[in-house]
Amino acid sequence: MSARRLRSTAVLGISLAFLLAWAFPIIWSVLNSLKTGSDVLAYPPKLVFSPTLDAYRDVLFGSGSILPNLISSMIISVGTTIVTMLMAIPAAYALARLRFRGKKFAGFYVLATQMLPPVGIIIPYFLVLRNIGWIDTYQGIILIYLSFSLPFAIWLLVSYFEDIPFEMEEAAYLDGASRLRTLWRIIIPQVRGGVAVTIVFVFLNAWNEFLFAVVLSGNTVRPVTVAMFNFVSVEQTLWAKLAAVSVLAMLPVVVLGVVAQKHIVKGLTVGAVKGGGRR
Amino acid sequence: MAPSAIAAAGTGSEAASTDYGDALALRERRFAAALLAPAFLALLATTTFPLMFLIWTSAFRMDLAMPFTNGFVGFENYRVLLSDERFWSSLLVSLVYTGSTVALQVVIGLALALLVMDMKRGQGWFRLIAILPVVLSPAVVGMIWRTFMLAPEFGIVDFLSINAGLGSQNWLGDPVLAMVSVIAIHTWQWTPFAFMVLLASLASLPEDIYEAARLDRASAWQRFRRITLPLLRPAIVMVVIMRTMVALTAFAAIFTVTAGGPGTATEILNLYAYRKSFTELSIGYGAALAVALLIVTIIISGILFALRRAK
Amino acid sequence: MSGRGQVSFRDIVKMHGEFAALRGVSFDIKPGEFFALLGPSGSGKSTTLRSLAGLDAPTAGRVFIDDKDVTFTDARDRDIAMVFQSYALYPHMTVAENIAFPLEMAKLPKAKIGPAVQDAARKVKIEHLLDRKPGQLSGGQQQRCALARAIVRKARLFLLDEPLSNLDAKLRLETRAELKKLQRSLGVTAVYVTHDQEEAMTLADRMAVFMAGEIQQVGTPADVFARPNSIDIAGFIGNPPMNLIPAHYADGDVLIAGHRLKTTAAIPGEREVIVGLRPGSLHIAADGLKARVDLIEDLGDTAVLDLDCDGTSIRMRVGDHDVPREGDTICVTARPQDIHLFDPATRKRL
Repeated sequence: MSARRLRSTAVLGISLAFLLAWAFPIIWSVLNSLKTGSDVLAYPPKLVFSPTLDAYRDVLFGSGSILPNLISSMIISVGTTIVTMLMAIPAAYALARLRFRGKKFAGFYVLATQMLPPVGIIIPYFLVLRNIGWIDTYQGIILIYLSFSLPFAIWLLVSYFEDIPFEMEEAAYLDGASRLRTLWRIIIPQVRGGVAVTIVFVFLNAWNEFLFAVVLSGNTVRPVTVAMFNFVSVEQTLWAKLAAVSVLAMLPVVVLGVVAQKHIVKGLTVGAVKGGGRR
Repeated sequence: MAPSAIAAAGTGSEAASTDYGDALALRERRFAAALLAPAFLALLATTTFPLMFLIWTSAFRMDLAMPFTNGFVGFENYRVLLSDERFWSSLLVSLVYTGSTVALQVVIGLALALLVMDMKRGQGWFRLIAILPVVLSPAVVGMIWRTFMLAPEFGIVDFLSINAGLGSQNWLGDPVLAMVSVIAIHTWQWTPFAFMVLLASLASLPEDIYEAARLDRASAWQRFRRITLPLLRPAIVMVVIMRTMVALTAFAAIFTVTAGGPGTATEILNLYAYRKSFTELSIGYGAALAVALLIVTIIISGILFALRRAK
Repeated sequence: MSGRGQVSFRDIVKMHGEFAALRGVSFDIKPGEFFALLGPSGSGKSTTLRSLAGLDAPTAGRVFIDDKDVTFTDARDRDIAMVFQSYALYPHMTVAENIAFPLEMAKLPKAKIGPAVQDAARKVKIEHLLDRKPGQLSGGQQQRCALARAIVRKARLFLLDEPLSNLDAKLRLETRAELKKLQRSLGVTAVYVTHDQEEAMTLADRMAVFMAGEIQQVGTPADVFARPNSIDIAGFIGNPPMNLIPAHYADGDVLIAGHRLKTTAAIPGEREVIVGLRPGSLHIAADGLKARVDLIEDLGDTAVLDLDCDGTSIRMRVGDHDVPREGDTICVTARPQDIHLFDPATRKRL
């Protein structure tokens, strides 16, 4: 009996340690963002302090406000999501539902594009965008974000489209609906959940992207992940402000992640399960 | 709606029907093409075209800092690359970084999944907390670790190290510790991914086979080795493949923490290609490095997919 | 209504690559008829229904509806309603919206849709469920909703693809009877696919029996039951199925296990045959085939006996009043008109 108790205590201890390990860096950032400039520098680190929103006020409305960067991130993410979904929904429907030669290849192509290292995309893209003056523009960044968001969205949506029985469409044809009408009235409403999940993940990936953003951003378009660097320099780090910016950058994705909790495994493993076109 | 092309065929029912089948197939193909066109044009423009242009670029000397030296050089960049010590060291760093992070993620993730699977209460907490790291931007994660966790004296890790009697360490300034740090950060962020996938996979295993094994008098260890592990194999292999691909092209989580330093201690091949192109502005040579990375990626994924098919 | 819903199939062939799902199928359905397509799974009955609906294009042959060639007509232009095996209800719409959908597609004015939906729902007794979603309905209610959606449009043809197979046994019997009444009252032509011969027998005015991509027999259920024209049909129709016993035939008589039975056949000469005997047409007699009772399956009002007749096993059905005991030896016989003869080589009826 005592061996058993020892075991369950050990299990509890280990699991708590891991929960803490995962949660702590995030909690610590939140705590630091609520400290005053002097509290944050205290040694040993303070766990108990009187919280203040000074840091947030500073980074949002002070000089060098990151508000434009948050807006930048938002425009990029929303724009990427809209364009991606408009293209991915019809493509996914075709891949999941229609019969045509080369379908297997088309599905494979979508997956294979993911093999290309992002750095291999950004080098030529940078040259092209520089020539046409699209560096530091929204259209430039959104366009290149399609390189990763489209394959992802297509494959995730295909898995939802495939869940709808064929008979549903056939019933609609017999009821006199055309192909497009069937897609619009019968199929899309049934994949609403899948579309929502896809939107969440596309937004999340766009919000989190860094490499393309670092290369293509400038004074006009600079998402928050890049702008964060302003608060860290060789000479000094603006600790509380950095913490506040980090929390602001984390907030939307954490909220979305928790909302989409049940679908997260599917969203993270999409495409890998099939490893190529089916049928 | 009666297809007139078919009526025109009318040489006999058999020929007509075949034509009709073709017409149906053609109509379906056209519909498919119309639906696929936007996405595939975008993919061509944002992936395939860049790939071609990348390979083309790698055959040039293209130095943005010294434009007067630019010109076609054929395979010269690749010749230089093969005798470039920094290339080989970055490749080694890539392999160490990828190998260790993937191994750690799978081992810790699996152990934790097994642990949590047996828990009667509190599973929900794990599922919730595990989401947090994986939805964050690697750039933000890197930034938090670099500052609040690893900064000398100020960071919590260093604080713990001091209190443990190990003294303050220069976590990101020492080549070995810097490598350990970036590996730890990547592992911290992505172990929950392995954990969640393996936990889901574990939960989907039928309970009755364990009951049967128990009746067959298999010990807990035997049940793990002979039942759990083989059944989890597809999920494990999938995690390994996915995480390997990501680790090979990790960028933000290293760039924001050490930027590849100190020196080139944490410079994986991906980062080297970036630095060469956008810091040193040797775009032609950077392109050759990116092509090399692509080849490495293809070789490694080829090996992994072969492993997946084996048995 | 009469004159609407006449169907002709002419030499329909359907290839799936090398595999022939249908190898030249022809039949006619009269207006207002309840016509069953019966056969084991993979026999081509569903493919036939799909060709009729326009969901699959045949490889060769012609389909006519009301004397018009519809072989190349789109499914949605054929004016056909169908009940799917899985019901294929639209899960995001309420029952009322589901039923209204075909009318909406037909661009019926809104003012007419409401009453039509009410009317259809009333006919299948689901007026009280109109605001529910399909997910909130029981299996039987879903089935009724699918029926209502099919009848609301008053299409000229009413196709049913194993509509009862997802219902439990009791509900299936109730619904079967209602289905027949519904079809009668609507006067619409119905084509009904099933693998359940009992369903086909009870529902259909006429039926086509499919075997391996071909129609083996078309006729009224009584006809097919009374005169199966091949060994395969004989073995498929009837429960328990017909006993099929190899025997020797000589001038009107057959010799089974050493016993001579009279038949109505008028073929001269001697030959080997397969004798078909319905379990229900056998009866116990003073003189006949000697058989030992191996096993008795008591069904309450009747019993099925497994008999061993000198090495040949025979099943017979008896009423509850004259059930022997297991191990008894009895004599069984059949009337000459109840003895079916088949050619062992061609498998056709003699």
